[in-house]
Amino acid sequence: MSDPGDFAARVDAALGDATLKRAIERTTGTARTKRAAAIAAWPEFPQARELGRDMKDHVIENLAHYLVEFEKNALRAGTKVHWARTGAEACEIVVDICRKAKAKSVTRAKSMLGEEIGLPHALEAAGIERIETDLAEHIIQLAGDPPSHIVWPALHKTREQVAELFRAHHRDPGAMASVEAMVASARRQLREKFMAADVGISGANFLIADTGAVCTVTNEGNAELTTTPPRVHIVTAGIEKLVPSMTHAMAMLRLLVRSATGAELTQYTTFHAGPKRDGDLDGPEEFHIVLVDAGRTRMLNEGLAEMLRCIRCGACLNHCVVYRQIGGHAYGATYPGPMGSVLTPMLNGLEESVDLPRACTLNGQCQEVCPVAIPLPTLLRGWREKAWQRGFEPARVRWALRLWRFFALRPWLYETAGNITLRVMPLFARHGWISRMPLAGGWTAHRDMPSPSGGTFLAQYRRSVRK
Amino acid sequence: MSSARNEILEAIRGGTPDADAIAAQARRLRAGACRPERVNGPADVVFLERLRAPGIAATAERVLTMQDFPDAVRRYLTTQQLAPTVALQPHAALQALNWAGIETHAHIGTDELVAVGLALGGIAETGSLVFHSGPASPTLFAFLPLHHIVAVRASTIWPWLEDYADAVSDSPQPRNVNLITGASGTTDIEGTLVRGAHGPGWLHVVLVGDARDAS
Repeated sequence: MSDPGDFAARVDAALGDATLKRAIERTTGTARTKRAAAIAAWPEFPQARELGRDMKDHVIENLAHYLVEFEKNALRAGTKVHWARTGAEACEIVVDICRKAKAKSVTRAKSMLGEEIGLPHALEAAGIERIETDLAEHIIQLAGDPPSHIVWPALHKTREQVAELFRAHHRDPGAMASVEAMVASARRQLREKFMAADVGISGANFLIADTGAVCTVTNEGNAELTTTPPRVHIVTAGIEKLVPSMTHAMAMLRLLVRSATGAELTQYTTFHAGPKRDGDLDGPEEFHIVLVDAGRTRMLNEGLAEMLRCIRCGACLNHCVVYRQIGGHAYGATYPGPMGSVLTPMLNGLEESVDLPRACTLNGQCQEVCPVAIPLPTLLRGWREKAWQRGFEPARVRWALRLWRFFALRPWLYETAGNITLRVMPLFARHGWISRMPLAGGWTAHRDMPSPSGGTFLAQYRRSVRK
Repeated sequence: MSSARNEILEAIRGGTPDADAIAAQARRLRAGACRPERVNGPADVVFLERLRAPGIAATAERVLTMQDFPDAVRRYLTTQQLAPTVALQPHAALQALNWAGIETHAHIGTDELVAVGLALGGIAETGSLVFHSGPASPTLFAFLPLHHIVAVRASTIWPWLEDYADAVSDSPQPRNVNLITGASGTTDIEGTLVRGAHGPGWLHVVLVGDARDAS
């Protein structure tokens, strides 16, 4: 992963990449249209959203209770339950289970928590072959890229790039003339791997407290092919994934799927509970769940409890004006977009990720589309305040804000300065547009600025009051 | 790792949780469920409509009795120009039928072309099939074949998702509950929808009987 401190350089590179912009807009545009249609078809969506928020809040307020209940019921189903304080501890547990199972190859169904805790690297370091089975994860595994979106991890890749990767890596790639041919080639390539894997690893969309079951959702069917044939199934799940019962999960699924893809339900919604039973012809002999904290209890205690509602639908990414310009990799972290900019400072430290909460226009779109009503702009502002208090803002920013404060506290001076600026700016304009001006290079390097007209805001305001 | 468990629980815990109060609140949230006004007719009729809607990659038909199911399978194989060889889910209700003219086997191969199955039930709201794993219903029968032909009885169609969840809430949790809504698909390459990513590329549902006959 790239250097987290190099945010500006990554943004510059992303802004200059026209192919990337087209790729992002293609997928997020479709996602926005489909989500809007799904929500328009359900007039009670706002009430359902409030209910979803209340369900998540209820679980988070009673998290210890539900964790203990989940553990009790999971054990009863024959599941082995593990607890991990940190990502590293979780990886150690998973690698240890794989070693005990003498695993040579592991299939994995996409899990953002797995990415967050660095599980792919841990498996590689342990010398275990890792096969990503979600089509997008398969693409980025071949490319050696990190995911760039939490629902469509390969959305930065065009079909031509995918065809090239498959031609280079697939056993029997065929002509690669269409997206259908590419999907068929991946199907052929992964089929034997599914059946030959020793361990299957998945995440969890929901943990069902009253049955100890784990709910996964996919459209491809790769989760079930990952979790059923191998001898061992391991689930890694954040402790915030709990819901009281399957009935509650159904209400959450309606929100999750509409917000993510605009469908009403994913093709495959599966509740996994424990290992193979007597007489079962398939299913794993061992079933493990690793419950991972990795900063979640800190979020609970440090004013970020609302973020624990997040069900990872990706709607805030698809609607974010910043994400749509720069894509996922520019954020330099596992979780991009608005939800990522709230999570990353908690997971990686604020000093390292201080740029992320700033890369936001506070337009509020993310909060509007969030299916569990997380006040993302407020949480981002909270990080900005903390960054200011802890002195993480660069000196330039601090001085600029002090200067602004000096003027803002003296209205006559503020207005005079405004008037002077308005007179000076047109001197740099050509045909009503400014393409170069001293002190404005950061703006004009990428776009022109309209020459100001009509006087300062205060002057216009006074005129309209007089009318 | 019990110390990790204790540390995590300690970091969360405020006071002693009042289990009864929590359960009462969870019940209130459950009762407040808000669901789309979709199921506005008999559940089996809505189920069939949903399956035929453009949002779901499936085809569907209705037959009168289970005895008519093998004919539906034969018709499907002929229409799709498939060889008459199928993996038959090892369910007594299926094995009891007359499969003359079709070679059936009770195991599922990695590259199985056609599997024939029987779902536990269906959900009208979403057009989903419900499978519970067990000796008569191995999970892979629904995921390995390219074509999946499934019978489901009209008398076991639940109107909404919650109706199914409530109906099974007192029975033991099966190892796997699979809700299957149309054939496998992916939009991972440039958002283009392609069928048959890893699971079946075709799903054909045969609704058996009429819900009103059963009542």
